[in-house]
Amino acid sequence: MAADLLGLAQLLLNGLALGAAYALVALGFVLILNATGAVNFAQGDLVMLGGYVAIALSRWLDLAGIDLSGPALLPLVMLAMAGCGLLFSALAWRPFRSRPPIFGLLATVALGLVLQEAMNALEGAAPRAGPTLVGTGDLRIGPFGLSRSALGIMAAALVIGLAQAWLLGHTQFGRRLRASAQDPVTARALGLPVDRLIAGSFALAAALAGAVGLLLSGPYFVTPSMGNDLILRAYIAVTIGGWGSLKGAVAGALLIALFESVVAGYTSSVAATAALYGVVLLVLAVRPAGLFPEPLGRRA
Amino acid sequence: MRRLVLLLAAVLGTTAAAEPARLPILVPVTGFLSLEGTSQRNGALLALRQAPAGLAVSGEVIDTATAPENAVNALLRALDGGPVPAVVAPMLGTQMLALMPIAAEEKLPLVTVSGTASLTEAGNPWIFRFFPSDRAAKEAHVRYAVERLGRHKLALVYQTTAYGQSGATYIATAAKRHGAELVFSEGIDTGVKDYAPVLKRAMASGADALLLHLHAGPTALAVRQVAALGLTLPVVAGSALHQPATAALLEPRELKGICAESASSPVSGGSPRLEQFLKDYRAAFGADPDAYALAQYDGTEMLLDVLAHGARTGEAVRAALAAEQWDGVAMRYASNGHGDMAHSVVILCYDGVTRVPKVVERYDGLDAAKPD
Repeated sequence: MAADLLGLAQLLLNGLALGAAYALVALGFVLILNATGAVNFAQGDLVMLGGYVAIALSRWLDLAGIDLSGPALLPLVMLAMAGCGLLFSALAWRPFRSRPPIFGLLATVALGLVLQEAMNALEGAAPRAGPTLVGTGDLRIGPFGLSRSALGIMAAALVIGLAQAWLLGHTQFGRRLRASAQDPVTARALGLPVDRLIAGSFALAAALAGAVGLLLSGPYFVTPSMGNDLILRAYIAVTIGGWGSLKGAVAGALLIALFESVVAGYTSSVAATAALYGVVLLVLAVRPAGLFPEPLGRRA
Repeated sequence: MRRLVLLLAAVLGTTAAAEPARLPILVPVTGFLSLEGTSQRNGALLALRQAPAGLAVSGEVIDTATAPENAVNALLRALDGGPVPAVVAPMLGTQMLALMPIAAEEKLPLVTVSGTASLTEAGNPWIFRFFPSDRAAKEAHVRYAVERLGRHKLALVYQTTAYGQSGATYIATAAKRHGAELVFSEGIDTGVKDYAPVLKRAMASGADALLLHLHAGPTALAVRQVAALGLTLPVVAGSALHQPATAALLEPRELKGICAESASSPVSGGSPRLEQFLKDYRAAFGADPDAYALAQYDGTEMLLDVLAHGARTGEAVRAALAAEQWDGVAMRYASNGHGDMAHSVVILCYDGVTRVPKVVERYDGLDAAKPD
């Protein structure tokens, strides 16, 4: 019995670590959704790009003889990816901002595929292992064993998630961003730089993606097509969590990861996937707006 | 017999031997199979660079990505450019299945390294496979676990893709044939990141050996988790692990004691011809070759030899490939009457010190007979 409980706790810990990474992907997804009203189907591909940026930065710094790894690499990757996010907004959102949201959605799909094939051509299709945030190996916490990577993912996700919540809820930038997302016409009339604010949200979402890319690249590797699975999970997380809700996105991501870890641990991964989609259908039937519906006026 | 066939091929040829032969290379260099497809392309291109003296041959690489319709479009595009005596065809089984009717209609030999067993079991005489079929590869996979390791309670973790399910079927059949019991068998989606749940359940099943039949990235993840969980039972993986790019993802200590099946292991060396191939491949592509590259190299070399002896039509090439033997770098190739040219599988193991495996077992004569 005790062994069973320990096993369950271990699976829960693994699920929390994975859920933390999924939550960061979902948060970036929600950010763009709230800012533009359009779904960014390239968020997973931005994670993939973040992984390759982490590998490239690590390689360049190593060549330059700069011993910079682990947590110190994280802000650099996020900064580089924020720049990519600005470029992304210029290509995928700005040209289509006055068109119906479907244009923006298709543009993100197209740019995501371009990113995939570009990385395929530049780096090849082989999975690549990136730098680790907090080294390799396992840590024992009482009877539990948890990899350093998993702990690093959880810690980083917690810090980044809280920082994002603070940025959006308690800073001028956050307030302006929310205002422009809720009513861009009025926000423009009030003199807010709506286009720049939305570009900023793309930068922020890409920075989040960069963080996830770095976090996942060490323990789980990077491939050009890895974003496809991640965006599917982010989409499900946001759907069951409640469209536009940051809290819902996190809850949805954790739920998915717990299914993948705990339910799969007691049944099978196929059964866990089937059960997860069953829960998605149930949530949509019972609570069509998701577990944490966000009132329109409070979105973003 | 060889001279007779080649003479016949020369007579049947309708194009002057001096005219360059077109050899389209249709391979998946983008999409989820691009790692393996790139190896296939490189193997074919290296063979073309080393074409027999006096043979003028041109090769055009056309990407088939991963959809069957892409492969069909690529083949039609290749045929639009004029007559071709044969085609280097994609290794993706679903694409090959889409190309087979066209090959029969156009009387066009397709030379592939696809492992999908059913390709050569459909009675289509235009398919030539230079890689062991799943039927042969999984036979060796199981035989190693049962005969060499003495394990009879096997746990299998496989991919839920067509590749994974096909291999799982043959593993189950082979296990039964060799008196072993498959005490655990589970399919895993390619997107799964955490292998701990399935590995723990596999252990709880009472298995005394773990068989993996997964794609490259998932194989590396599973092997890493095996090491992290401290599992001590023997692991025999599928051919994805033999790829240098897969082994590069893991620390040598994580690979310690892990074995895998493959058609060959070029990086392990072992013969002067293999060493030369390794040197040439590295010089040409700046990377280490895998078994797919070597198999396609061998297959294209045989094809070029047939062309060099005068075959210029699909029928002439087909007749020669079906009747001839070829001493390739990896093994000796000869059709079993169904277009299966490769009948040897090696088992390689990692020692925990380097990422270069040692070949510990070789099974010859697999699948040489008519499929049951």
